[in-house]
Amino acid sequence: MKLIFHLDMDAFFVSVEELFNPSLKGKPVVVGGQRGQRGVVSAASYAARRFGVHSAMPLRTAGRLCPQAIFVDGHPHRYREYSHKVYEVLQSFTPLVEMASIDEAYLDLTGAGRLHGPPLRAAHELHNRIHRATNLNCSIGAATSRLVAKVASDQAKPNGVLWILPGQEAKFLAPLEIRKIPGVGKVTEKNLHAIGVTRVGDLAGLEETFLERRFGKLGLALAGKARGLDAGGWFDGEIGDASDPKSISHEHTFSEDTAEAIVLEAMLARLSEMVGRRLREHALHARTVQLKLRYSDFSTFTRAHTLDHATKLDNEILDHVRRLFRKAWTGAAVRLIGVHVSSFEDSEGQLSLLDGEKNARWSKALSAADRIRDRFGESSISLAGGLKSTFRERVHENPASLPGKTPRPGKNDAAVPPAERSESSGK
Amino acid sequence: MEFTVTKSDLVRELSLSQGVVERKTTIPILSNVLLEADGDRLTLTATDLELGIRCSCPARVEKPGAGTLPARKLLDYVRLLPDADVQVKVSENQWATLVCGRSRTRLAGMSRENFPELPSVSQTRAEMPAGVLSSMIGKTIFAISNEESRFTLNGALLLFRHKGMVMVATDGHRLSMVESAEEIPGITEPYRALLPKKAMQEILKLAQDAGAESMVKFGGDENHLFFQIGERLLISRKLTGNFPDYERVLPKEHPHTVELSRDDIRSAIERVAQFADERSGAVRIQVCPGELKIHSSLSETGESEESVPVEYDGGEVEIGFNAQYMLDFLRAVPENQVVFHFKDPVSAGELRPAGNELTYTYRYIVMPMRI
Repeated sequence: MKLIFHLDMDAFFVSVEELFNPSLKGKPVVVGGQRGQRGVVSAASYAARRFGVHSAMPLRTAGRLCPQAIFVDGHPHRYREYSHKVYEVLQSFTPLVEMASIDEAYLDLTGAGRLHGPPLRAAHELHNRIHRATNLNCSIGAATSRLVAKVASDQAKPNGVLWILPGQEAKFLAPLEIRKIPGVGKVTEKNLHAIGVTRVGDLAGLEETFLERRFGKLGLALAGKARGLDAGGWFDGEIGDASDPKSISHEHTFSEDTAEAIVLEAMLARLSEMVGRRLREHALHARTVQLKLRYSDFSTFTRAHTLDHATKLDNEILDHVRRLFRKAWTGAAVRLIGVHVSSFEDSEGQLSLLDGEKNARWSKALSAADRIRDRFGESSISLAGGLKSTFRERVHENPASLPGKTPRPGKNDAAVPPAERSESSGK
Repeated sequence: MEFTVTKSDLVRELSLSQGVVERKTTIPILSNVLLEADGDRLTLTATDLELGIRCSCPARVEKPGAGTLPARKLLDYVRLLPDADVQVKVSENQWATLVCGRSRTRLAGMSRENFPELPSVSQTRAEMPAGVLSSMIGKTIFAISNEESRFTLNGALLLFRHKGMVMVATDGHRLSMVESAEEIPGITEPYRALLPKKAMQEILKLAQDAGAESMVKFGGDENHLFFQIGERLLISRKLTGNFPDYERVLPKEHPHTVELSRDDIRSAIERVAQFADERSGAVRIQVCPGELKIHSSLSETGESEESVPVEYDGGEVEIGFNAQYMLDFLRAVPENQVVFHFKDPVSAGELRPAGNELTYTYRYIVMPMRI
């Protein structure tokens, strides 16, 4: 039988801010930008949450709901630093660690009883170690599946530990609202409410065949989840398994729509750099470069180009995406612009006859830039063309140097981030 | 306009102009061929604004004049007619009537007023046999880049020297260079131009139809290149931009060399390439004392290896190559024996025809793949 821990840092961004500014403690704090700015809430303190503020909510809405809230811009490098600290503790606890995002992780502790003792004692020990190393609170759920561990850590919040005894999973889940189940979003919730299902127990009481008829594959997955199983692709793959992304992308929404070519192209430079950095972190080379444009009226276009070789160089990605942009852009005001790469290969493959030396120089320069960013943060160095577009790194964007699964063989120092929001793993 | 031509003449000349006619154009008249009847000839003109062709055939002109007709539809129809005279009449309202035997067809045309004028021909700079030109094209055209963004590589460099002519094409991964040392009459000063791939394809067709012995008159001005082959004239816009300094990437020396039978190595690579990754086409070429081995494997499909005996006593070297790049040269080179020069897995390899009595130079430089 498996033993899985899910560790989730409590109000991570806010708590880190509190370490640097203790006067924020206990107050309603909103991280992500200033009141009234365009953009969304990255995190809210528990005090702010009482007013209905939650992450992903527009900053303006948050300001309205909680006028006395303290708005903080957020410091990605601090979160990254603390995420690394957490990761180090986890790594010292068990090698089978998978960071699911900057502030949560799954650990596989199956068979670790002789080392760490019974599950509850092990969880307490881990909880203490995290606190000693970071001065931050976390919550830990322990169970036989990832799904139940995740739900348990949520129930244990704040600053708690909860172990679901083997065999008790369905009983534990039954009284919970169905949206507590990972993978049940607004739409599924609405559809389930429509057939009178509001609690996980209601769902577990339904016939699998009925759910499959009504919801297809999703229905089957729901039936499994209601019993506490890792069903339906949400938790495919073993913890600690490195899986490469199928695509990497970065996009930016302008705080004000713009039709200035120089601003748009500068942003493309910046985004190409971010994409190139991710590619190099994964030791991948991309053959397809794609541009995404969203105009003020929300009409959205993508244009892709497949190269005759694979690349990991910012300048090449920029060259191609800029060409796509110059061809596709109507001149209208742009709301969002994005750079996306895919068709990955492990090696650069075909070597260049004409650009060999140039590429080698770029390759060296960019890996030096990567090392500088590792030490001094993402915005410490950039292509000159991108300087016009320096935007504050958004805290809700998962940083490139997120600690995670085992680094790929042949890679240098940087750890490989796990599946991230903008990296579709195709599952 | 009213004239009569034989079906075979009309089909031949229409076919030759077909490659130039724009398929998916936003300018409708470019899908048409311009027909001009005067004296005892019918002249056909087609253009896509980059490339233009003018050819002609004997005709019995009853009423001189001009009109344009849809090139594709006209050829498709005339091709199906019996071998006989075709009588064509284009009326004022631009409708054409075609009569051949018992067949009678009406076809909507467009006024010649809107048909773009071809640039006027400048003086002849050089003359060369069609066979020489087309064989140089055949040895380089496959190395031209299809990557639109590298537009200076979307054609070949054509270089006239005091003695001889050079053609070079590259896509940035491999480079093909052929130099003919034959005296080119008319060349008084060095001349260089970038010739688009589409023009090269059309020259191949025209040269094949005219025969290897017929002479090609070549001219060029600021923006255009002219090739006159017999009665037919091809006009191409020059590619602008700087072709890379190709001499810089030609290897100066090669530590290792093996001689191979062209057909043996070609069929070996063709077979092994069946098990190469479809996208990259990578095969491994391993040279060891006494043999050259080609190997490829696909984890889910299988693997394949061939061994070709060679005279070689150097150290073992293994290099990855795109099989297609190797085959392109092996299919283009006319000589039965080839030499393969190589250094290491990251340096350019080179293929050449073997033999001391070659009257021309043919060098094919290929960068390896990292695998």
